[in-house]
Amino acid sequence: MTRRPEIGALAAAGVIFVFFLAVAPAFRSLESFFTVLYQSSTIGIVAVGVGMLMIGGEFDLSAGVLVTSAGLVNSMFCWYLGVDLWAGAALSLLFCLAVGFLNGWLVMRTGIPSFLITLGTFFILQGANLGVTKLVTGAVASPDVSAIDGFHSLGLIFSSSFEVGPVTVWGTVLWWILFVLISGWILQRTRGGNWIHAVGGAADSARAAGVPVVRTKIGLFLAVSFLAWFVGMHNLYRFNTLQAGGGVGNEFLYIIAAVVGGTLLTGGFGNATGIAIGAFLFGMTSLGIVYAGWDPNWFRAFLGVMLLAAVMVNLYLRRVFR
Amino acid sequence: MRRRVLAAGVATLLLISACSEGGRAEPQQATGYTIAFVTHETPGDTFWNIVRSGAQQAAEDVDVQVRFSNDPDATRQAVLIQQAVDAKVQGIATTLVTPDALAGSVRAATAAGIPVVGLNAGIERYRDLGALMYFGSDETVAGTSVGERIAASGAKHPLCVIHQAGSVALEARCAGVKSAVPGTENLQVNGADDAAVTSTLQAKLAQDRTIDYVVTLGAPIALDAIQAGSTAKIATFDLNKETADRIKDGKIEFAIDQQPYAQGYMAVTSLYLYLKNGNDLGGGKAVLTGPSFVDKSNIDTILPYVEKNTR
Amino acid sequence: MIRLSGVGLSYGPIRALHDIDLQVNAGEVTCVLGDNGAGKSTLIKIMSGLHPHTAGRFHIDDRETVLRSPRDALDLGIATVYQDLAVVPLMPVWRNFFLGSELTTGRFPLRRLRIREMRGTAETALNDMGIAVADIDQPIGTLSGGQRQSVAIARAVHFGARVLILDEPTAALGVHQSGVVLRYIAAARDRGLGVVLVTHNPHHAHLVGDHFVVLKLGATVLDARRGAVTLDQLTAQMSGGDELTELARELRRPA
Repeated sequence: MTRRPEIGALAAAGVIFVFFLAVAPAFRSLESFFTVLYQSSTIGIVAVGVGMLMIGGEFDLSAGVLVTSAGLVNSMFCWYLGVDLWAGAALSLLFCLAVGFLNGWLVMRTGIPSFLITLGTFFILQGANLGVTKLVTGAVASPDVSAIDGFHSLGLIFSSSFEVGPVTVWGTVLWWILFVLISGWILQRTRGGNWIHAVGGAADSARAAGVPVVRTKIGLFLAVSFLAWFVGMHNLYRFNTLQAGGGVGNEFLYIIAAVVGGTLLTGGFGNATGIAIGAFLFGMTSLGIVYAGWDPNWFRAFLGVMLLAAVMVNLYLRRVFR
Repeated sequence: MRRRVLAAGVATLLLISACSEGGRAEPQQATGYTIAFVTHETPGDTFWNIVRSGAQQAAEDVDVQVRFSNDPDATRQAVLIQQAVDAKVQGIATTLVTPDALAGSVRAATAAGIPVVGLNAGIERYRDLGALMYFGSDETVAGTSVGERIAASGAKHPLCVIHQAGSVALEARCAGVKSAVPGTENLQVNGADDAAVTSTLQAKLAQDRTIDYVVTLGAPIALDAIQAGSTAKIATFDLNKETADRIKDGKIEFAIDQQPYAQGYMAVTSLYLYLKNGNDLGGGKAVLTGPSFVDKSNIDTILPYVEKNTR
Repeated sequence: MIRLSGVGLSYGPIRALHDIDLQVNAGEVTCVLGDNGAGKSTLIKIMSGLHPHTAGRFHIDDRETVLRSPRDALDLGIATVYQDLAVVPLMPVWRNFFLGSELTTGRFPLRRLRIREMRGTAETALNDMGIAVADIDQPIGTLSGGQRQSVAIARAVHFGARVLILDEPTAALGVHQSGVVLRYIAAARDRGLGVVLVTHNPHHAHLVGDHFVVLKLGATVLDARRGAVTLDQLTAQMSGGDELTELARELRRPA
């Protein structure tokens, strides 16, 4: 049981799912289920990276605003210079990876906890998002990109959806599943996964055993920034325009998804399935409350209760089955 | 925070340059007024950007210096007003969204003989606090006129989307809508995340298929509502470039504009007139800058202004 | 196999270690003894590649070397087992066993672990050393301290270590557990490994040691082979020699 971090989250997901099925008639349809999956995927994709990073013993508080930065870089670069959106998307990817690298490099180089380093990046990005957008466009929202070349082909990758019977399936849901599978494979079946667990569980032991700690951790920060870029692209190509102040607060949702999914806050323990279930729990409760027709003002309170419950269930399971 | 630091830096630079130019600072101080412009803006809202543009234009037109500062947190906004008093500015324009929290600072300003003008929020309380004039719309009145208009087009069960938790002004708008259409229901969404807004709306519209109108309280939220893809019609408070385009192509029925540009512009010029000439606008009553309706019939005249970021 | 001659290490102006001569031979246990702060851990850092030496010569197989990283040391067959950071507690025994030397198959990006083989090998290697672990999948943190040290030693032996450096392997252990670990040290020696046992416990050292080096304030104060030194002499040197005699006199109750 100590080897199954997701067991608590799975039980909770089951209970909450049945609960909403019982109280919310509108929840009982396939359409609703896929809307929940979509909501989960927009959090879940970045949570895959953040969760892996947490297993590797680090935090990233800048991931939420980096999603917005990614979209802003792409849209403003292309709008201002009148170039194809593909160039902007590539530039945005480079930008995100640079931010991820900087986060990782600073953490490893200075030894300052990643919580503080990425809190700094968070504020820098938040301010720069607004400041640069204002400078470039004169407003605090990015310009509409739907008329620029490349919009449709990029939209196909990042924000397409298709109909299956009455159900709209968003591409992000499939991407999310793919990323979860890859992450699960990396964590359980590759050398990199072994290293991630080791640097998060006991970095000094890992270093002594010959694990390249710096490279592993920087790699994790890069993974987070890649996934943040991915969701940033989705947001841009689905909504055409972005508010420069967006994304703030989501960094905690990623962390909550990982923790609810059984990832140990101190690192070294967790898995991809758990993190995915954590994100699904978030999507299910945030929308379930609406489907039930309750006042969504309560959602945050619910989220907090869920977080505490998940953490306590995990603690309990770990004690009982030790 | 960053903005405030920046603003302080810019203000310092201006002061330094003012000193170095003539060699003497005093004549500069005597010819141009300095006005502090304090709001509860959350950085990154398109709406406030337009308010600022108005204030900036006014500052140029009447040759005063405007110092902007903002903080969504009520206690910190109070400190900003106090700072303006300490800096001995000639006039203060401020939003009064949380009158009780700001009362102390505003009274300190009036006690120091600095005229205060309210804008955007606080229509019921501005006079109690000692503010001279008020420029803004009455949120409840605006809500009611939206409610009346959608009721006329047959709405029975509209959804009023609140994108910021615990905002008095937004709640008042929805209350206004409800006073005209009793079937109105409120929905809370996370305004900082477009995808979350869309899927929450989708969920709500699936849960209750009798919803026939979606009223959003901010322009970006209206765009998310379009993405939610339902048969319900959409109306929104406030304008921006994209919503204006959507009104033009019929995706949004109408927007109700409280003319934020005029709020910023009038707040600054009224202070100027008061300082220069002792004028008092509004005849002891609040000056309403809205509601003004923008729909297909007048969008073509308004669109150029929207593109210039002044509406 | 390893020969240090006049090796020293300075951190800026501070000399942590100077003029150390040390020889490690195959099939022998070399014990490095010393009080806290004597320079034992600095010596380990040099030999395990965590810190390159700044003075003297370091020969491995008669070739002069400077170790720049733990990886360098491992590649030359020098494995170090640290007292407190020997393993990653939350990871299964077999993953710990192969940590840093995982067996993989396939090409990037599809390169993956040979999990079945790794588990089997770990199990066999532990059995060969006479270490009984209930479940190769259990987190290594659930093993006792002695067992953890033993797994770490077995790991080093399995990966072809020729020189095994043990940092205070018995420091945190009780008498019985210490006995278990000392037995594995003897087993490693019998397999022809050169063992460096770093400890401040002369009793443990004397049980298995062939050669003793006592450090004090970063310098060698005793260097003797097994026949040339008794346990009492060793204990006396360890605990400060003359200093202790002095202390004994001082503390004696007045008659």
